[in-house]
Amino acid sequence: MVQFSLPQNSKILKGKYYKDKSGSDNLKKVNIYRWNPSNNENPRIDTFEVDMNNCGPKVLDILFKIKNEIDPSLTFRRSCAHGVCGSCAMNVDGTNTLSCIKSHLDIKGDLNIYPLPHLKVIKDLVADLTTLYKQYESVEPWLKTKISGKEKEEIKQSQKDRAKLDGYYECILCACCSTSCPSYWWNGDKYLGPAVLLQAYRWISDSRDEEKKERLKKIADELKLYRCHTIMNCTNSCPKGLNPAKAIGSIKKMLATS
Amino acid sequence: MNNKNNPLSPHLQIYRWQISSLISISHRITGIINVIGLVIICIWIGLLFAGESNYELINIFFQSYFGKLFAMGFVWSYSFHLLSGIRHFIWDLGYGYEIKTANISGIIVILGSLVLTVLMWGIGRALI
Repeated sequence: MVQFSLPQNSKILKGKYYKDKSGSDNLKKVNIYRWNPSNNENPRIDTFEVDMNNCGPKVLDILFKIKNEIDPSLTFRRSCAHGVCGSCAMNVDGTNTLSCIKSHLDIKGDLNIYPLPHLKVIKDLVADLTTLYKQYESVEPWLKTKISGKEKEEIKQSQKDRAKLDGYYECILCACCSTSCPSYWWNGDKYLGPAVLLQAYRWISDSRDEEKKERLKKIADELKLYRCHTIMNCTNSCPKGLNPAKAIGSIKKMLATS
Repeated sequence: MNNKNNPLSPHLQIYRWQISSLISISHRITGIINVIGLVIICIWIGLLFAGESNYELINIFFQSYFGKLFAMGFVWSYSFHLLSGIRHFIWDLGYGYEIKTANISGIIVILGSLVLTVLMWGIGRALI
């Protein structure tokens, strides 16, 4: 049975309030989800008053400012800070996005930051994506071909075939889409989710791959694929502007017509 | 990694509703309402066979405000599910996945269901 409410140990409590000390006239209230594994407390929401006169334009800049100037224990993942690596995926203002390319100017009122939804929290904004990576491995995201030796060094592809991968190869596996999907929330252990299915489609539609049929057969499953009900949260959340819902729709159509 | 006792991050509680997700859940709810409604209609027809007094009873129910609201709600639920279902069929054919298109088709479903309700009601009451 699907559990809509949070389990007892995950109920969110009111946390600390960090008052601004700079005396700035341009303050923004930032509410951040906090959980520390080293004490036995429930997660809480801490509120920080941030001086926006001395802060960069992105949500990640705010997080860094808080970490550097207010609370150094604030934990979050980040790497490139340019929307290329996908490390800083989190729930900002109610939707999943990369904090490094999300401008805080787009958000009116208080800023709410949570970890990616419906995952086990490791610390603060860092959530556990082990299941997703295992599922990614299960679709065998590599080229399968019988060509060997010298010929394999370069397998040519027409421009038309190459264009079929546009909108799919750009995926950086940040998991924004999968963790925005209610179907993935309720059946995340069995349903592959939008990110992994988009990757699966990327290999299915690669003209150089020789195992298209086997790949399709493998994911044609009531739970793995057909838990997608075109809710479209995935496409709405993708920070790279890709369309996982369309990829899944294409797989369904391929299966229905083959 | 052993993290059995780690908390689960909030999901439904914090995620912002989109037009698409709202219609998706409404499609399911109206689907359930339609099944219940159809069963009630079947019982109604079944009762008609049992005589005139039963017919009168049902007639009184449908003349009441609650009865009218119930009937109107069912007509809306049916209209919504019908249009949203057509939207799903179009998706199954491979069209309309772009965010903008999906939002427009979603709004068409919402507005269309209201228009269809009024139309059906009007035709049923011989007003049109």
